[in-house]
Amino acid sequence: MINEHLEELASLHVLGLLTPPEEKAFAATLARDPELQALVTNLLTARDALAGTVPAATPSPQVKQRIMAELDSRAKKTASRPVVKSAWSFPTFWLPWAMATAAVVVCVNQTLDKYDLRAMVERQNTRIAELDQLADELRGATNQLSQTVASLQSATKLADVRIALLSSLLSDDPKAVAVSLWDNQQQSGVFVVQNLKPLPADRDYQLWVIDPKYKIPVSAGVFQVDPSGNVRLHFKTDKAIVTADKFAVTLEPKGGLPVPTLKNLVLLGG
Amino acid sequence: MGAKEIQPETNQDLELMQGISQGDRWAFACFYDQYSKLLFAVAYRILNDQKEAEDVLQEVFLQIWDKAGSYNPALGKPVSWAVTLTRNKAIDYIRAHQRRTKLLEHAATEMLANAPGGTANSTMHGRQNEELINSAVAELPGEQRLAIEMAFFSGFTQNEISETLKEPLGTIKARIRRGMLKLRERLEGCV
Repeated sequence: MINEHLEELASLHVLGLLTPPEEKAFAATLARDPELQALVTNLLTARDALAGTVPAATPSPQVKQRIMAELDSRAKKTASRPVVKSAWSFPTFWLPWAMATAAVVVCVNQTLDKYDLRAMVERQNTRIAELDQLADELRGATNQLSQTVASLQSATKLADVRIALLSSLLSDDPKAVAVSLWDNQQQSGVFVVQNLKPLPADRDYQLWVIDPKYKIPVSAGVFQVDPSGNVRLHFKTDKAIVTADKFAVTLEPKGGLPVPTLKNLVLLGG
Repeated sequence: MGAKEIQPETNQDLELMQGISQGDRWAFACFYDQYSKLLFAVAYRILNDQKEAEDVLQEVFLQIWDKAGSYNPALGKPVSWAVTLTRNKAIDYIRAHQRRTKLLEHAATEMLANAPGGTANSTMHGRQNEELINSAVAELPGEQRLAIEMAFFSGFTQNEISETLKEPLGTIKARIRRGMLKLRERLEGCV
C-alpha cells in the first residue's frame, strides 16, 4: 500500500529533489516494492512528457559524428569489452549435449535476427531518406525566412524593436495571450492582450519588463481589460531599458506594486 | 495499482538498450536517432546555450554507452533513464560553471510558454499526442507547475523553491506531489 508520504518521496525522487541520504533510503525501499516501482515508472513517464513540452531543438549533426569517433577511438585502445566468466560449471557428461543444443539455438536465432535486422535496416533507410528530404525543405524554408527578416530589418529598423509573445500561466484561463512590441530607441512599447479575465475594481494587471541590467523587473504600468478580455495600450517603463529580455504580467492590488508578486504571474514570454 | 502495459516502442527500446550493453554500435546509433532531439531540447532548455547543450548531449550518450549494462528496467523506461542523465548532467554543468545567477534568471521562464513551432514531444509521441500531452501539462494549476519546473529545469532544491516562492517547505512538497499525480492521471493512456 502506497501512502501519501511515499507518493511524495516518489514525486520528489523523479524530479531529482531528494537529498543524497533521502535518495539512498528511498532507493532501498524502491528496490523491494514492486508497487512503488510501478508508481515511479508512471511518474517518470509523466515527467518525461513534461520534459517534452520544451520547444523542439536539434543538435548539429557533428555531435553524433563526435560521439561515434569517440567510440572508434576507444575501440582502438581496447580490442573488446571484458568478458565476464561464468560461475557455472557443467558436469562433463552434459557438455556435448549442451553444446549441440546451443548450436541449434544460435542457428535459429541468427536466422531470425537476420530477417529482423534486414527489415529494420530497410525501415531505417526509408526513414533516413524521409529525413533528408525534410531537412532540405527546412533548409529552404529557413533561408527564405532569413532573407525576409534581413530585408525587414534593413527596411524598417526592426532590429531595434523587440517582439515577444506572452502565454498564459493560468490553468483556468489558458487561452489568454499577449504580444508586446518594444522600441528600444524610443523607449516605449505597444502591448496587446486577448482573452484575459476581467478583474474586480480593487485589482489591476501589472506589466513588467525583465532587463538583465536590473535585479528586479521594471514596472511598465497597470492596466485593465475590457469585458471581452482584450486591451491594446501604449506603455513606457519606470527606468531606462537596455535589453528587454522578457515581458511578464502579474495580478496585483489596485495601482500596482514596486516589486512583482511572483506567485501571481499571469502571462510570461520573451 | 497495476503497472501500465508496456508499449511496443518501449520493448524496442529495451532491445536497443540490451544491444548497447553488449557493445552493439548499431543499436546505439538507433537510440541516438530516436532520442537525441528530445534530450538535446531538455539540455538546451536548462542551459540556454547550443554549444553547452551539445557538450552535455555528447557526455550523456557516452555515459549511456558506458553504463547501459547497469540500466534497470524495473526503475523506469530507457528514455526516462536518459532524460534523468541529461537533466542531472545539465544541472551539474550549470553548478560547475558557477552559473547560479543564470539559473535563477531562468526560474520564471521555465513555466513553459506554449512555444510556436512545436515541442520536443512531437519527436517522441507524434504530432497528435503532442497536443494532448502539452494541454495536459498546461492544465496543471500554475503553482504546482511552477514548483515542478523550478525543480526539474532549474535544479532548485526543496528549500530553495520554498524560499523563492515564500511558501512553507511542506506546502511545496505537497504541491509537487499533487501536481505529479495529476499529471500522471491526465497522461494515462496518452503516453
